[in-house]
Amino acid sequence: MDSESSLTLPITSPLTEFSQIRPRVLDAVVNRTIDEVPKIKIESELTAALYLEKQRLHRERGNLFTKKRLKKDRALWNGIQKELLQSAVITDRGNLLHDVAARYAEEIGGRFDPKVYKLATGLLPYGFNWLLNAASVKSILPWGMTEDVRSRLRIEGELQHLKKLAAKGTILLVPTHQSNIDSILIGYVIYLMGLPPFAYGAGLNLFSNPVLSFFMSNLGAYTVDRQKSNRIYKAILKNYSTRILREGIHSIFFPAGGRVRSGAIESKLKLGLLGTALEAQIENLQEGNPNPKIFIVPMTTSYHFVLEASTLIDDHLSEAGKHRFIITDDESSQFSKVLNFFWQLFKAQSGMTVRVGRPLDVFGNFVDEEGNSIGPNGTTIDSTRWLSSYGKLGIEPDRDREYTRVLGNKIVERYHAENTILTSHLAAFTFFEGLRERYPEYDLYRFLRMSLSQRTVPWEEFLAEAEISHKKILAASDRGMFHVTPELRTSDTKAWLKDGILNLGLFHGNAVLKRGDGVLYSEDMNLLYYYRNRLAGYGLSLRADPRRRVPGAYDEKGFLV
Amino acid sequence: MKKDFWSKSTVAVIGGGSWGTVLTKIVAENAADVRLWVRDEEQARAMNSTRSNPAYVKEMVLPSNVRTFTDIERVFEGGVQAVIWALPSKACREQAKRFAPLFRGDEIVIHATKGIEDGTMKRVSTMLAEELPVSRIGVISGPNLAGEIARDEPAATVIASEFREVVEAGVTLLSTPRFRAYAADDVIGIEWAGTLKNIYAIAAGALDALEFGWNTRSLLITRGLAEMVRFGMAMGAKEATFLGLAGVGDLFATCSSPMSRNYRVGRKLALGEPLEVILRELGAVAEGVRTTQIISAFANERKIPMPITQGVSELIRGDRPARDVLRALMQRPPAADISAEMGEFDFGR
Repeated sequence: MDSESSLTLPITSPLTEFSQIRPRVLDAVVNRTIDEVPKIKIESELTAALYLEKQRLHRERGNLFTKKRLKKDRALWNGIQKELLQSAVITDRGNLLHDVAARYAEEIGGRFDPKVYKLATGLLPYGFNWLLNAASVKSILPWGMTEDVRSRLRIEGELQHLKKLAAKGTILLVPTHQSNIDSILIGYVIYLMGLPPFAYGAGLNLFSNPVLSFFMSNLGAYTVDRQKSNRIYKAILKNYSTRILREGIHSIFFPAGGRVRSGAIESKLKLGLLGTALEAQIENLQEGNPNPKIFIVPMTTSYHFVLEASTLIDDHLSEAGKHRFIITDDESSQFSKVLNFFWQLFKAQSGMTVRVGRPLDVFGNFVDEEGNSIGPNGTTIDSTRWLSSYGKLGIEPDRDREYTRVLGNKIVERYHAENTILTSHLAAFTFFEGLRERYPEYDLYRFLRMSLSQRTVPWEEFLAEAEISHKKILAASDRGMFHVTPELRTSDTKAWLKDGILNLGLFHGNAVLKRGDGVLYSEDMNLLYYYRNRLAGYGLSLRADPRRRVPGAYDEKGFLV
Repeated sequence: MKKDFWSKSTVAVIGGGSWGTVLTKIVAENAADVRLWVRDEEQARAMNSTRSNPAYVKEMVLPSNVRTFTDIERVFEGGVQAVIWALPSKACREQAKRFAPLFRGDEIVIHATKGIEDGTMKRVSTMLAEELPVSRIGVISGPNLAGEIARDEPAATVIASEFREVVEAGVTLLSTPRFRAYAADDVIGIEWAGTLKNIYAIAAGALDALEFGWNTRSLLITRGLAEMVRFGMAMGAKEATFLGLAGVGDLFATCSSPMSRNYRVGRKLALGEPLEVILRELGAVAEGVRTTQIISAFANERKIPMPITQGVSELIRGDRPARDVLRALMQRPPAADISAEMGEFDFGR
């Protein structure tokens, strides 16, 4: 990538001029949401929201950064409660709904300040480089030699394609989501590509971390508070993301709704959010927008270590995980851990791989460089026709739900194909599957609790297993099942294993894999499972039916296949 | 409003076999303009002048809003709103490739093809989705022996699609006072049911040749249904679909009517005639022969218990005479009656 020239490009986009369009966007969102609530439903929607908000405000404990916001919220809802107790003749319910909607819209949208964006993007590489050099000096690099952050960050895939499409329509980037670091990293990747900042929704809880908050709000983030479960808030959020797409602001959705807990590639997506892309597409076409097209671009990130892996996998393994969808307190909310993460990141031999996937249209068809949707047999798909029913272009809820479902499946399929397997993933996978061969009768929970001697394997035996799984993975990669990192393109088993074992979960207190005297063992089976899962969903597990690729499925012993 | 839209619509029917011709007549009662595509120039000329299809369904008269073409461009001229796809499964992919450039994207496609693709085992709707630049595809399937419907005997069918719009179009276009269309969304189940039943039609023909009575036939149909459910569920179908018209309904008709081609193949096989001779005499496609071989190989590999299918496969290959096949089937180990999963029943051995 020619990143030098891209760094000097003037960056303007609807988002950098956001302060000008902001009042209009927020107004449109509020009005649309109010229009969507039938007159006779206003009272019951407000009452339901009041109940849920009161519960939330009772539950939430403010900290230094959120105290003020909570206080304002309490004042708002106490007021609403008082007004709702009055007769509808005295206090107009429509006005109350407007107050609530306006407050939500204000909270969600727009902290973006183009001046600060320049500062933030300017600081980011400096900060990265400083960390990198400080860390490098400490490790192996000779004095005077500096290394650029970009050499640790591998950006692959359809970069040029994405850049071209960004000028022809609106991009909706849909990355896999493993870590809260993702959004910063992706924001930075977008900057390196010379693209204008993308808008994205980030959990309100993350804004309480001053470091994350600074970068996020200035890399285009708007806030999403998943603690607010009432329908008015959800409608505002949905209408906000639709609206900014329609304004031509490139956006990022994490379609799984949150970080993946198991470590595997996402297999289930939140279709509600994805559906807004289709809605924006239809409305763009209806309005005769000159650049109406919305392009869906899958993106995958591959890490040797994930900052929050311990919390995530524990959550996945515990029954509670199903209820506790929002983790508000994990490693990424602790300042020192974030700093330490970056430190370790740059100390590592190789960093992260980000892969820009093949762009799709809102139906999941591939899109060419001109932005045309490609149909079978060289045909071009006419989006307007696909979105016309009974001869008329427009929203058709049943049809659109099906389109979105198909798009969701396609994104899951592309995620798997665009995934990059790192040396550490293969090392974890090989070791884990080797243990499974040795203890085939164990179910997942028994397996993860095996004794240290059980999870210790003679090095030579492991080496032989690694050679076999390496061959298998390369063959699968050649068949287009996924990509592998260049470090795996070697016939030297010891070399890639060294790289993999060294880098695997470097950050964690316990070594995921550790070499002892002629043996290899794992200090943390949960983490081992987490990193092994990056190769789940492909039917590659030794005990999986190789003819069936079922992302997100479990075998009879409770392991992800 | 929607009914209005369809009553003013132009519909293309692709394939002028017996079923395609009967469907053409039904659609013509509900749409403004119906264009039937056939491959053979002479057939087209005959159909346009006599308003009937003497080769397949001679007694039926086609209404005046039907025109028959061999030129695919003429069929799609000015755009059509719906396409009824009635080609044999073997011809589907190749013909779809030819037709692809003519589609505009908003057409609703409903196929009436029972069968799967050789080698890939892909369902017809999958094949069409891979070849045609349209999204809205559905299937019509049910106990629909073309000859009976041509004579206007009461009958019913199922229209299935993931898109409700397609189902609505199908029900509107393909219903008459004597032909009732039901709605469904389990496309996988409907398509597999329509494919698999042909295997049991061959078996039913064989039983007929052996001159067994109703008990035996009932045994075949019921245990055949169990196999269909087992297989269908392994492919992602819904169990309940097999209890519907396109499942047990179609199975029952196919296994009872001596008119069906697969039934005739099974009968002649059991009488000891070699397959090549039978197929040559038949002159038309018997989907079941191919289907049986594909399914039995697949079920073997995946360990899906389908003993009847394996038996029919042996009969088709000429490995064993019908009587031996049947004897072997009757002497299988004891098994549970109701349960797709239970398989062989353990009597505490």
